[in-house]
Amino acid sequence: MIWGWIMLLLPIIGALGVVVSSGRAARSLALWTSLATFGASIVAAVNFGVWGTGEFGLVSSIPWMSEVGISISIGADSVSMMLVLLTTFLMPLAVLGSWTAVNERLKEYYGWLLLIETAMIGVFLARDLVFFYVCFEFTLVPMYFLIAIYGGSGRARACVKFFLYTFTGSLIALVGFLYVAWSNMESTGQWSFDIATLTTFAAGMPLADQLWILTALVIGFAVKIPLFPVHTWLPLAHTEAPTAGSVILAGVLLKLGTYGLYRFALPMTPEAVVEWAPILGILSIVGILYAGLICWVQTDVKKLVAYSSVSHLGFCVLGIFALNPMGLQGSVLYMINHGLSTGALFFLVGMMYERYHTRDMDSIGGLAKRMPIWAFFMVFFVLASVGLPGLNGFVSEFLCLLGTFAAGESGSYPGVLGPWFAAFAALGMIVAAMYLLIMVGKIVFGSLKEPAGTDRHGLSVDLNAREITVLVPLAVLCILLGVQPWIAMDAMDGSVVEILSVYQPSEVAQQMVDAGSAWVAGSPSP
Amino acid sequence: MTAAGLVNSMVLSLLDKAPPMGVIPDTVPVAEAAVRPELWWAGLILYLPLLSLVLCGLCAAFKVKTKLPAWLTTASLLASFVVSVMLYLNHEPPGYLVPLLSWIDLSWAGGDFVANFTLYIDSLSLLWVMFVTGLGTLITFYASEYMEADLGKGYTRFFAGVSVFLFAMVALVLADNLVMLYLGWEGVGFASYWLIGYYYQRPAAVAAAKKAFIMNRIGDLGLALAIYLIWSTFGTIQYDELMVVLREGSWAESYEGWTIDVIPWFLMLAAFGKSAQIPLYVWLPDAMEGPTPVSALIHAATMVTAGIYLVARTYEFFLLSPESLHVVAWVGGLTALLAATIGMAQYDIKRIMAYSTVSQLGFMFLGLGVLSTYGAVYHVFTHAFFKAALFLTCGAIMHGFAGQLDLRKLSGLIRIPGWRITSIAMLIGCLALAGFPLTSGYFSKDAILAEAFVTQGPGFEALGWMAIFTAFLTAYYTFRVWFRVCAGKVEYEPGDEHHGDDDHGHSDGHFHPHAPRFAMNFVMAVIAIGAMVATVPYFLDTKADEALAGGWVADMVHDSTARGGLPGLDGHGQPISESGAHDHHDHDDHAHPTILGMDPHFAMYIISGVVGGLGLLLAAWLHLFRRQDADRLRAALMGRWWIAWLPRAMERKWYVDEIYIGLVRAPLWVASHLMYAFDRFLIDGVLVDGVARIPRLVARWFQPLHNGIIQSYAVTMAGGLALIALLMILFLQFWNIGGGG
Amino acid sequence: MILLASAFGQQALAHYLLLSGVLFVIGLVGFLSRRNLIVMFLCTELMFQAAAIAMVAAGRYYYDFSGQVFVIFILTVAAAEAALALALVVLLFRRKSTLNAEDWRELRE
Repeated sequence: MIWGWIMLLLPIIGALGVVVSSGRAARSLALWTSLATFGASIVAAVNFGVWGTGEFGLVSSIPWMSEVGISISIGADSVSMMLVLLTTFLMPLAVLGSWTAVNERLKEYYGWLLLIETAMIGVFLARDLVFFYVCFEFTLVPMYFLIAIYGGSGRARACVKFFLYTFTGSLIALVGFLYVAWSNMESTGQWSFDIATLTTFAAGMPLADQLWILTALVIGFAVKIPLFPVHTWLPLAHTEAPTAGSVILAGVLLKLGTYGLYRFALPMTPEAVVEWAPILGILSIVGILYAGLICWVQTDVKKLVAYSSVSHLGFCVLGIFALNPMGLQGSVLYMINHGLSTGALFFLVGMMYERYHTRDMDSIGGLAKRMPIWAFFMVFFVLASVGLPGLNGFVSEFLCLLGTFAAGESGSYPGVLGPWFAAFAALGMIVAAMYLLIMVGKIVFGSLKEPAGTDRHGLSVDLNAREITVLVPLAVLCILLGVQPWIAMDAMDGSVVEILSVYQPSEVAQQMVDAGSAWVAGSPSP
Repeated sequence: MTAAGLVNSMVLSLLDKAPPMGVIPDTVPVAEAAVRPELWWAGLILYLPLLSLVLCGLCAAFKVKTKLPAWLTTASLLASFVVSVMLYLNHEPPGYLVPLLSWIDLSWAGGDFVANFTLYIDSLSLLWVMFVTGLGTLITFYASEYMEADLGKGYTRFFAGVSVFLFAMVALVLADNLVMLYLGWEGVGFASYWLIGYYYQRPAAVAAAKKAFIMNRIGDLGLALAIYLIWSTFGTIQYDELMVVLREGSWAESYEGWTIDVIPWFLMLAAFGKSAQIPLYVWLPDAMEGPTPVSALIHAATMVTAGIYLVARTYEFFLLSPESLHVVAWVGGLTALLAATIGMAQYDIKRIMAYSTVSQLGFMFLGLGVLSTYGAVYHVFTHAFFKAALFLTCGAIMHGFAGQLDLRKLSGLIRIPGWRITSIAMLIGCLALAGFPLTSGYFSKDAILAEAFVTQGPGFEALGWMAIFTAFLTAYYTFRVWFRVCAGKVEYEPGDEHHGDDDHGHSDGHFHPHAPRFAMNFVMAVIAIGAMVATVPYFLDTKADEALAGGWVADMVHDSTARGGLPGLDGHGQPISESGAHDHHDHDDHAHPTILGMDPHFAMYIISGVVGGLGLLLAAWLHLFRRQDADRLRAALMGRWWIAWLPRAMERKWYVDEIYIGLVRAPLWVASHLMYAFDRFLIDGVLVDGVARIPRLVARWFQPLHNGIIQSYAVTMAGGLALIALLMILFLQFWNIGGGG
Repeated sequence: MILLASAFGQQALAHYLLLSGVLFVIGLVGFLSRRNLIVMFLCTELMFQAAAIAMVAAGRYYYDFSGQVFVIFILTVAAAEAALALALVVLLFRRKSTLNAEDWRELRE
């Protein structure tokens, strides 16, 4: 399918255009390119044709290094497609959100932004392991420069740590991948890096091998997610990154980790996953509560939101290792919802920072008085983040916990988590309400407190039309996914069941896929 | 005929009406509820508040500075009320379903987890939705005048919040499954957060809002876990299917484990959070930081009764694990007593009303616990009216006297022109709250108290006496307020609140209270009349079941899930059999319970009348006729070390807030700081940076080579190359020799 | 192949290799002993050409064109490199008005 390639190439072409354009034209060119990519992804989604099934759409391949079985092949199941949509949706907003925040070296900035878009789309679309890995690593480069050039005062340390930490992690994952590919070569006599082939092969490897492979993969992806205790690069990187960088980091880059678990860890090493799930579940829960409590004592708003990402993604990982469709579906929804609500929170913090040049909760307060529109959106997205039913966060959190709770009960899935895991993780709901509302109580409500000598650099007191334009689409999607989540859920159930098919007898999975594919026939549940 | 004689004859005539203990046939069949999509317009009850929210949003966007938002909201809620009444008129038991929208459907993933926006309409939800929308309409109308000082500032925000609340509350009540109930449950919590924090520039209001939300979240956690447990045990979360599963008992075949003993505890946690019971009650008194109409609507009449609704709705789960009901009863009774003792010692009339709400909610839980869902629901119904009346009058006073709420600084209101309706409405509310004979509160409270003596349970008789003592305290502190504020000689000091532009006539250096005008007077009058009329349902004929007493409210409970707690039925809504299957509800003739040798209901009419009268007299002595005696009494108590702790602890609310801060918040706070330090120094500093430092340490050995002089690099390179070349030559020779050999 | 070597004997090859070696050593010594950036650069070029001569000679000796192909490569790369390197030298000169390599020691960071 041509649209996959268009999505991949458009941002690169745009980036080239940005680099040769004049500085001022760069941002509108970047905006139009990202909008065009979004349009392309919408067209691709409409013509996708395999929503709700476990099939792959947009499948296409061009040879690259054929001797060793490497090709640039793309293809997306429903979950990948949804994450691609999330990426292309967030990108124009990120461009629009940095309209006035970035004032120097514009060409470079927007060039990097567009390049990272290609890399992220590449990760989600890749059907070849080497291509996946190249894209996965390439996301680091633009982000490194976004932090290093446009970041805050501690950016030098932050970008190096971000780069080295995640890079080291992914190298370990690469070792795992190469081991699988090598074993496959040993067994079949020829190299192949086709993800489907390797997945099937790895799933049949002995448990001892699977344990090693899973260890490598989990180390690589856990750093990216980030899972406790390998999370410490995140608060630093988020705090120093420019607003758009934080949005992309929280919105999409963290999901590369959970997507990696979804795409590789689960189907490649089923036996090992069953062995390891309790440990990973405990790590997730520790992360949820630990990061949540740390949020409570933060004074820097952005750091608070960053730690809250660690806490939130704990739910996501928990849902994955529930090893049943509910948990996994909740987890995928969580990836999308977290991208929307936390992305919006980073935008809001950035908008505040642009006006007051501080993120210190002790030196600002009661901004609802000064910026009612901003305050409205802040409270809205905080509530989405807290998981207020009716908004998006609730459905995914609820499903993750439900899946965790019911692990091992429904169908014949070998879930090893259970009620205790869900009960402890659910404490995170209270903790989340605590730190987010305390944050809101400090900066949004209370008596007005502004730093002395506030200089808004020509920005309006409250949000301007451009900033509202950035936030409204996010808010609309938050409501939509909160009230009608079945749109996303029905669209992805087939893929989720397909990923989990190695965990249970095929006929049960087939029934579920059949039930799920009713969506394609145009008969959504009443 | 003397007044006493009149009461006596009334009481005697009531004897016939007293819920009988006999055997009543169970006529309502258990079946899955019918789906009736043709009643789609029932959805309007939900949609109309939502519409009003959207309209308020538009008003905010266009910066409307008139009372338009209030009228829009009032009109929408009125329409919503009309729709619910129409629905009631159309209602035929048993309940039925009205599907609206799909939401979450996981039936494909194994298990039957379906949570759609579907309304479950049975008599219980109708009862609730009618008084919620009705009172909502009235209180919104009241607020249109009360909030006028904020016109153009927070006015729209206020009514938007009320709309959100009504939407969430109606969703909670009409939900057909536990997840939609959860939506409403958190929704009302959020609306409450919104409205408590309405005066967001006051730190106390922000703190109170936060506290309410977090305390409620603890309850929500319980509800979420209960939902998971119910789903994993019974395989569904839709009420109608659950009821079928429970009644048919099919779940028990494959059941093995512990879940049914745990479910009610989590439901209880949820209910105690929302309905402000021990240990989660501390948020409600603080919630009085919100505007008074909010306190009346949310924190007295409707939202806080959601806990009662939840327990009534899921009563069957409590009946599966009878010990849980004992706990409900005891927690309710203790909360009632504790809150009443605190209420006695407060001076802020709104706080007194808040504690009395906690206390009355305790009575309702006591009713649920002693198997009188009927009494609890009836008390919810009457309490909604009389407590709303009390709060609205408090609000009128606060509004007129610039925020003055101290009962020591207000007196003789009934003699000030323009305050007559307020004072009389407050009197009616006080009478009902005090359980004065023949008022609505009298009958509803008795329905609970008597059942405490009827039902067998651990220490239920002591609990009953404790509740009677609480009723005495209630009468005392209620009339303490009324005698202080409305009776006596005219004397007042204004408060220090100057909200808005109304200057209360400060310009001439003299304070003139401004009396409530039409909207507030009208609403206070209507609700006070409602509080009186709420007696009537008790005397209406029971239609559902000839043999069932209790009037209209009993009807409304009879057709619902809460029927297990009707007088005369056993826990499962079955007539009480002679085998006495449930020992906690044993009505065997030879064990017929009595109070002081009399029939419990008859005795209760007398006891509670006498107790209420005594409380009233005590209040009259200390707070009307000889007010200085009250101060003297307090001084006398405070002067004696062996008793001084009691009034002090009561005034300081038994130090519960301090205990919570000391036991929960402070340790968590310290732990969080420790964790943050741990995160920065150990995980990040030692582990991460430590590992990162290893290459640097290794590099230190080679660092001298790295001196920045190109030539030295070149030397190294040339030397290296030479070395490699040398090695290669040697190696090749060796290889050649080896190969040659 | 060896048969064809008669046209370009081992003797001739030895001469060429000797020349190449001498050139390389001159370049290396020059590079190591001088501090002027341009001279150092010229010295690297010298080393390049030494290598190129060795390649051509060896190619001729073995009658294999790979050597010549390599030389073409070396020339091209050297040209590109010369352009870059000289541009860098000009930039550096502008910054500090000196061509002494030791003045740029801080670049080691």
